[in-house]
Amino acid sequence: MKDEITNLRAQVMAQIEASSDLGDLENIRADYLGKNGKLTKLVKRINEVSKEEKKEVGILINETKNTISTILVEQKNRLKETSREWFDPTIPGKRLGVGSLHLMTQAIEEVAKIFTEIGFVRMRYPEVEWDYFAFESLNFDRDHPARDEWETFFVDASAHPKLGKMLLTPHTSNGQVREMLRVKTPPVRMINIAKCYRRQSDASHYPMFHQFEGLVVDEGISIAHLKGTVDYFMRKFYGENRRARLRPYNFPFTEPSFEIDVSCDICNGKGCKVCKEGWLELGGAGMVHPNVLKHGGIDPTKYSGFAFGWGVERVMMMKPGLGINDLRTIYSSDLRYLKQF
Amino acid sequence: MEHLETKATPAKVAEALSLCGPSVERMEARGKDWVYDIEVTTNRVDAMSVRGIAREAAAILPMFGIKAKMKPLKLISQKFVKNYSDFTIKNDPKLIQRIMGVVVEDIQNWKSPEWMTRRLTTSGIRSLNSVVDITNYVMTEIGHPTHVFDFDKIITGGFNIRESKKGERIVSLDNKEYALSGGDIVIARDSGEIIDLPGIMGTKNSVVSESTKRVLFFLDNNDPVKIRRTSMSLGIRTVAATLNEKGVDPYLGETAILRGIELFSEVCGAKKIRTIIDIFPKKPVMIKVKVEKEFIESRLGIGLSKTAIVKMLNPLGLVTTWRGNVLEVTPPSFRISDIRIPEDVVEEVARIYGYHNLPSRLMAGELPKKPLNMPFKFEYQVKQILQGLGGNEVYTESLVRQNMAGKNALALANPLGEDTGYLRTSLMPSLIKAARGNVGNFDKYHLFEMANVYLVQKNNLPCEKRLLAGIFYGYDWRSAKGIVETFFEELGTKVNVSVLNDGKYEVNKAITFSMKGEKVGQFGVILGTEFIYYVFEADVLRAKCSAVKQYKPISKYPAQIEDITFVLPQKTLINDFIDSVKTVKFVEKVELGTIYQNAYTFRVWYQNPKKTLDNKEVLKIRERILLRVKNKFGGIIKD
Repeated sequence: MKDEITNLRAQVMAQIEASSDLGDLENIRADYLGKNGKLTKLVKRINEVSKEEKKEVGILINETKNTISTILVEQKNRLKETSREWFDPTIPGKRLGVGSLHLMTQAIEEVAKIFTEIGFVRMRYPEVEWDYFAFESLNFDRDHPARDEWETFFVDASAHPKLGKMLLTPHTSNGQVREMLRVKTPPVRMINIAKCYRRQSDASHYPMFHQFEGLVVDEGISIAHLKGTVDYFMRKFYGENRRARLRPYNFPFTEPSFEIDVSCDICNGKGCKVCKEGWLELGGAGMVHPNVLKHGGIDPTKYSGFAFGWGVERVMMMKPGLGINDLRTIYSSDLRYLKQF
Repeated sequence: MEHLETKATPAKVAEALSLCGPSVERMEARGKDWVYDIEVTTNRVDAMSVRGIAREAAAILPMFGIKAKMKPLKLISQKFVKNYSDFTIKNDPKLIQRIMGVVVEDIQNWKSPEWMTRRLTTSGIRSLNSVVDITNYVMTEIGHPTHVFDFDKIITGGFNIRESKKGERIVSLDNKEYALSGGDIVIARDSGEIIDLPGIMGTKNSVVSESTKRVLFFLDNNDPVKIRRTSMSLGIRTVAATLNEKGVDPYLGETAILRGIELFSEVCGAKKIRTIIDIFPKKPVMIKVKVEKEFIESRLGIGLSKTAIVKMLNPLGLVTTWRGNVLEVTPPSFRISDIRIPEDVVEEVARIYGYHNLPSRLMAGELPKKPLNMPFKFEYQVKQILQGLGGNEVYTESLVRQNMAGKNALALANPLGEDTGYLRTSLMPSLIKAARGNVGNFDKYHLFEMANVYLVQKNNLPCEKRLLAGIFYGYDWRSAKGIVETFFEELGTKVNVSVLNDGKYEVNKAITFSMKGEKVGQFGVILGTEFIYYVFEADVLRAKCSAVKQYKPISKYPAQIEDITFVLPQKTLINDFIDSVKTVKFVEKVELGTIYQNAYTFRVWYQNPKKTLDNKEVLKIRERILLRVKNKFGGIIKD
């Protein structure tokens, strides 16, 4: 009888292993462990064995029964898995190919929004310009270095009899006199964001770049208003804890002129490796020169104003955490870069 | 502290200077000295020297509550002559405003003392020999460039100051040969040989050597415009040139030459010093600037007392007198080109008072009127739609090489290189380049850009036309076109398409988009490539799209939907087919589904806005469709 049991066990294990679906398994179970199953029948014949062997055979039967039950469950699970009844809820989702807006577009929109919130009107003025609007009307000396061929791109086209040479505007300030002439009577509160070009190329200069130009002209405009506007922009763009400072500078079209710094976000104005004694240089600004107002048809004895023109790239690159150190990276068309923003 | 008497710490001096005067970029300790790296703006050549900075500090520090005073230089007094008997200088006052020179004899040209070498080195100047070092030391300390000739090399032939002729050649003291372009200020012998490029760099044939015993110590106050032109065109950017091109104060010459003589005695052991030559026929005119107290106050946005104002201006060297509420300001000789109008005086008051001490407030007052019809909102909206449809926005260069610029492109007169010599008239070549650059990294993408192209106009600035263009890689025709169609749907507008024949695209693989009868753009496979390209004029698009989408009431009665497969003859334009089927009454919508060989499956929506259609009515409409397809297109329904 012991041999019978052992044979039966080997037989059932082979059958279970060979089974290919849950139906088969159920049949096997019924065949051996069911009411009239082979093992059940063996149990009923327990009295056939001698008294001495009884205990031993009893243990063997129980063991066999347990073994069959266990491998039946294991095989059942295995079969369930292969028949895809198993489900992995952590599987990666299928992503949609949403595109990206260029960093420059994002920065320009943000800048425009901040200034339109305080009543600035967004305008657009030419990128290819006459000398008159880019330099002459802005009080540049005839011999100012910016007007020579080492700094500004000139277009190979005939000059205008009154407005001078055709050039690629090196700054958005060409919109200043154009805007005054358009508005005629102050208040003027303009923001002009456009492409500019300068004849230089390195990590912090690119022949093509963007500037945003702010121009405010009204009665009683003072340096305090310029400071207020700059502070407002800084806080909105960089965060409430950032501060601005003005340093003396020199530009032909403003008097006085300033260089604007923003407090360094890393050391908060105390001075560290990244910044210049606690401050980062942002761009130029100043009180509109009376000659510029005159060219714009505005009486400088009645009105005063301020203006600033900053590089969008520079202002953007100074946002904490962005991590772009080379201006040329910005204009890459590599999707591995574009898709990050 | 040789020039400035103050108890301020080096760090405090740096901070105060940056806030109110020239910016201290960096400061570092070198032994007992502190070295400042200072950015001085081009209008302040008077501050581009040790003494110039000391004067600024002396004016600025008191506003920070720290006493400061300039120490005067102790200089031996000297007499002046117009020329020597053995050496004649013929000047052209249009070229050089003031000439000063002195012959110093019996000198030793050897190694400079340690203090001089150290100071020059920390100022970024290489120490060469005591004679040359003195010229550099005087320039750095006083602010006036100086030069020195070996007197024995130049004594015959005198000095003729003239403009160079085109093609004349010189060999500089550092042994480089240059061809002059003409109009440069030069000093020549009577024979015509050039022996100096004044204000920029000396030449080899007049340079001092170790054996030099007699030198002519020479100062020339040149026409700054000519200096810049020569220096830039020859690429010789010496410190002297960068100072001279900004217009150095001619009155500074006296201090500089006397300081030089002092150093020749001290450092080179000069025994014999001749009388100083001074040629200064035309002196600059001093102009008074008048400014009202109220003007200063309104520009600063604060009130100030009369004494407070003059207390700030006087240490800068500005002479002031109040006449009532009008301040008369006479700038010193070193500021006459810089202080000319009331605003210049405002600047001096404001910066010494401290911009950081001024209030900060936003403008009150009326807001300007916004012009109608500005494009910015639309342009951003358009970009956002394309982004939503999977497009990646690029900014490519608008300066391109000639073969990328398109026909009739404007050229630059002075490009940086031939790669960026032209203003583009098309975005297509730039986008092809951008798309090609990504092949291999991604198997499917859609790039787009909105930028100006520059189209020549006669006797005018070019027309700056804003284009919206895009390029597809790895998209089949229907998916790419579907994206553009979805784009129009998002804009709430309807477009019509027609086949376009244009050499830029593959034959029969291009279309024109029109809106309300006007062409708005193109779409097609670029000739010789696998890229699909589209381009629209942003302004035309905007003009054709209404800002407000119109609500269409939703029908209360459901549509009946059916898929019908037609077998259509070759060369059937499916777009026309759908347009035609849609005109059958109660056909609300037709969409193309799958295509298998010449069998096209369409999904058709039958709908009557006034009632629910029953099966009998649908069958009638269906009959009409089949008739239309058969008569107009020769198509039959597939069983």
